[in-house]
Amino acid sequence: MKKITRFRSYFLSAVFVFGAVALNSCSDDNNNGPTGEYARNGVLISNEGAFTKSNASVSFYSHDSKTVENESFKKVNAPLVLGDVLQHMAQQGERLYLVMNNSGKVVVTNANTLKAEGEIAGLEAPRYFTVLNDDKAYVTEWLGYDPATYAYSNGRVAVVDLKTNTVTKTITVGVQPEQLVIAGGKLYVANSGGKTVTVINTATDAIETSITVNDGPNSLALDRNNVLWVSSQGVKAYDPVDWSVSEENSTPGSLAKINTGSNTVASTLTFSQNAPAPGKLTPNPNGDKLYYVFNNKVWMQDVNASTLATKPLIDRGTYVAYGFNGLGVEPASGTIYAGKATDYASNGWVVRYNPQSGAAVDSFRVGIAPNGFVFR
Amino acid sequence: MAKFHFHFLSCLALSLGIAPTAVAQQQDTTLYHLRTVEVFGKPAEVFASGSRVTTLDSTFLRTYTSGSLADALQARTPVFLKTNGPSGISTPSFRGTSATHTAVLWNGLNISQPALGQSDMSLLPLSSIGSIAVQHGAAGATYGSGAIGGAVLLNSPTQLEPGFGAEALQEVGSFGRYFSSANARYSGRKMSVALGGYYLAAENDFSFRDYGRIGGPTRRQDQAQVAQHGFTQDVRWQLSQNTRLALHGWYTYANREVPPALGAANTNAGQVDRNLRLMTELNHGSNWGETSLKAAVFNDYLLFTDNSNHSTTDINTYQLQAEQTYTYARRWSLRGGLNLQHFEADVQGYGKQVTEDRASAFLLFRYDPSKRLDLSLNLRQAFVKGYNPAPAPTLGANWLLLEHDQHQLYLKGNVSGSYRVPTLNERFWQPGGNPDIKPEQGWSFETGLRHHYTLGTVQLESELSVYRMLVDNWIQWMPVTSSYWSPRNLQKVRAQGIELSSRATTTRGDWQLAATGAYTYTASEQVKAYEGSQELNQQLAHVPLHKAQLGTDISFRTWTLLGNLTHTGLRYTDNSNASSLPGYTLLSLALHKKFSLAQNQFVASVRSGNVTNRAYTVLENVPMPPRSLAVSLRFVIP
Repeated sequence: MKKITRFRSYFLSAVFVFGAVALNSCSDDNNNGPTGEYARNGVLISNEGAFTKSNASVSFYSHDSKTVENESFKKVNAPLVLGDVLQHMAQQGERLYLVMNNSGKVVVTNANTLKAEGEIAGLEAPRYFTVLNDDKAYVTEWLGYDPATYAYSNGRVAVVDLKTNTVTKTITVGVQPEQLVIAGGKLYVANSGGKTVTVINTATDAIETSITVNDGPNSLALDRNNVLWVSSQGVKAYDPVDWSVSEENSTPGSLAKINTGSNTVASTLTFSQNAPAPGKLTPNPNGDKLYYVFNNKVWMQDVNASTLATKPLIDRGTYVAYGFNGLGVEPASGTIYAGKATDYASNGWVVRYNPQSGAAVDSFRVGIAPNGFVFR
Repeated sequence: MAKFHFHFLSCLALSLGIAPTAVAQQQDTTLYHLRTVEVFGKPAEVFASGSRVTTLDSTFLRTYTSGSLADALQARTPVFLKTNGPSGISTPSFRGTSATHTAVLWNGLNISQPALGQSDMSLLPLSSIGSIAVQHGAAGATYGSGAIGGAVLLNSPTQLEPGFGAEALQEVGSFGRYFSSANARYSGRKMSVALGGYYLAAENDFSFRDYGRIGGPTRRQDQAQVAQHGFTQDVRWQLSQNTRLALHGWYTYANREVPPALGAANTNAGQVDRNLRLMTELNHGSNWGETSLKAAVFNDYLLFTDNSNHSTTDINTYQLQAEQTYTYARRWSLRGGLNLQHFEADVQGYGKQVTEDRASAFLLFRYDPSKRLDLSLNLRQAFVKGYNPAPAPTLGANWLLLEHDQHQLYLKGNVSGSYRVPTLNERFWQPGGNPDIKPEQGWSFETGLRHHYTLGTVQLESELSVYRMLVDNWIQWMPVTSSYWSPRNLQKVRAQGIELSSRATTTRGDWQLAATGAYTYTASEQVKAYEGSQELNQQLAHVPLHKAQLGTDISFRTWTLLGNLTHTGLRYTDNSNASSLPGYTLLSLALHKKFSLAQNQFVASVRSGNVTNRAYTVLENVPMPPRSLAVSLRFVIP
């Protein structure tokens, strides 16, 4: 039964693809609005793939047909291989940027057709990408891993010229720089291997200051008040014998609010439990609530509340370890999208949740280890 | 997906219930082995009635002497080899099982690397091996832990002719490949000595389209260099008329670069493997039958390095095996034995020295109630501290069903248990090693027909087998927390399939012709999950449903031509069967010419692999070499 429905959905999506191609080729002359298979009302999903296997992929879910197409990049660009570990995906106008972590590059595609147009090469372990304008973007890179000490050296932010797809400058920041956010002409970089957020002037690309937060800042989000929220994972201590997490020797994670005018920490909300790490801060469409993942559950934070939520919004009980490998919020509906990775050897799922009740609405199958969304 | 209906039990009951009386000259290969073996010690196949055993023929082994066991298994057996790129690392998948489910035995002792519980077939050079037999299907009772999908049995070369002999081989091939080997032997009345060594260097710097980069530029492979060398030593000493002592030494060294997948960063991955195997074997014949004592020490060293790893594994294994075999005429044979293993593991990933003792006791019984029927009943029980592997029994029968003119038709059947004690990594790796992991246990049901036909100089031998195998507590590494992976007993896996093979040989005047054809269908699926949303009823990743082979050996006077065509079907790359790799067909050809020089011989050869220059990958995004050419010259002093 399951097989039949799956087959039918493949069949439908195949029919749809052909239909859409036919339609598009007819409407190409009209020139109103973007055209292309992936310009439609839908969601692009990044599937990171299994490390070293170069099997990262892009899926596309269409709201119109209510079907998912997997391996979209491959369909358009084969025999070209997307690369190894699709860490992050960002759109700017007609371009979609795909950060290939273990390929050391960013693949540039047309956002509407997914046709590969170029690549930003020469990066080391790129992590996240953010676009300032049509000319300039920034990407974080991890550098200097020492296998003997398991430690990294300071990472950097590469400044990318989007006209030429080349790196024009690199800015050394803290250890293991992760997410970056642009607010008020400033670029904020979370240095997850340290305890700072680096602030860079986007006009000069020079570091202005760095803001000290709790250990391990890993994700950033701007709320409606232009307050920058930082999730810090805390320090995880492991039992040296069996490598289990030692709660008593760990420090708790926290959420910090940064005033982007003064670049100071306005307040810090610290978790009561020591070991689990908060992360994946994601604002809702109007910016008055933030979702985040903590302890394999999704929590909702009112941006004006002075305390942390006491109950999770989404609680799947005992759930797969990477059940919230990616988190996204659809701007139009506010629906929460979660990327659920299974075992990195088989395809994952996207599970959609009701933003009010936190109840699972439906799910569809995507590529290996879905971790991010671009809503069209 | 095709399902098979197994009438195995009824067949077996039938074959057990009928006691045939007709007298016939039995042509069974197992008996053939019985007769040709040396005075002491029967090959273990004797206790494998009703199962399928493939022996790799010596012409093929001599032709591909510069290759590895991986090449031979891939070309001439149903085993599928997962080859990680041109520089090698090849692990077997036999009858739909994983790499840890094929036991590799050298002179009767298991040589799988204990940390990983598997053998890299590309590390075992054919030039060091005297004979290869492949046991299909579960044979836990006979071969112990890991013989779930099958077992590969390697034996040191035996020497029959007295006197001195030597051989030297030099090969030069495409992509910077050089292979040299030499061996010498002396056999006297009391003692025989053989020494051999080999050296291989390969750049593997072939060109390929790099589709990991935009535009797919053509580029040379620069991360697949291989350097291998090693030597063997075999000494046999006839202490008395009934007692013989043998010493076997085998050293292999390999330093290989591991190429990255297309699109993945080159992390300069490389692997150094060093394996030293020493064993001594004492055989004694008396009124109590044949006594065999084997003592061995193995050292397995592995160093894996890349830009962010430096991981060493250094394990000493001590093994002791004692066997007593009593044979009563040609009616029955009983073998009892004990195997002891002691591991001393110095593995960085364990964070401490780990030692372990394992023991197993076995009893093997072969009974030929008539000349048309042979039966075997085997049992093995393993003992490991903290574990309780289930006993592994075997019941098998081989019955000459029909004999008419030159036709002989045998009906075979076999039920076997098997087990695998978790590897050291599965239990001690930090973090993630799971001390509570349960051993795997398998059951295999198999039946088949074997047909033999002789007409003058034409011989035709065909065999059809169908099997179903169930493996409980199949171990798989899973992400259990967000920080590390851990092995879990997750699954019941069911593998079932068909193996069909046929071989025809004939001699006509100066011509000698041989042709083999084989086809295997393998459906391997997870059918039950204990926890989590696993993939049920989907073909396991990297197990081809279809594999087919055609081989020919043609000799005319001093010329020999060998051809080999192998088709490997589509393989899924994930357990959800969403992505797959296309099948591929590879052709290889080899031509030899013998020249005599006084009493000595030269053999000149030209060999080509991937003759049709097919672009293919065995694993995802790892391009394999295009057409290759090698020429070699062998000098033989008989």
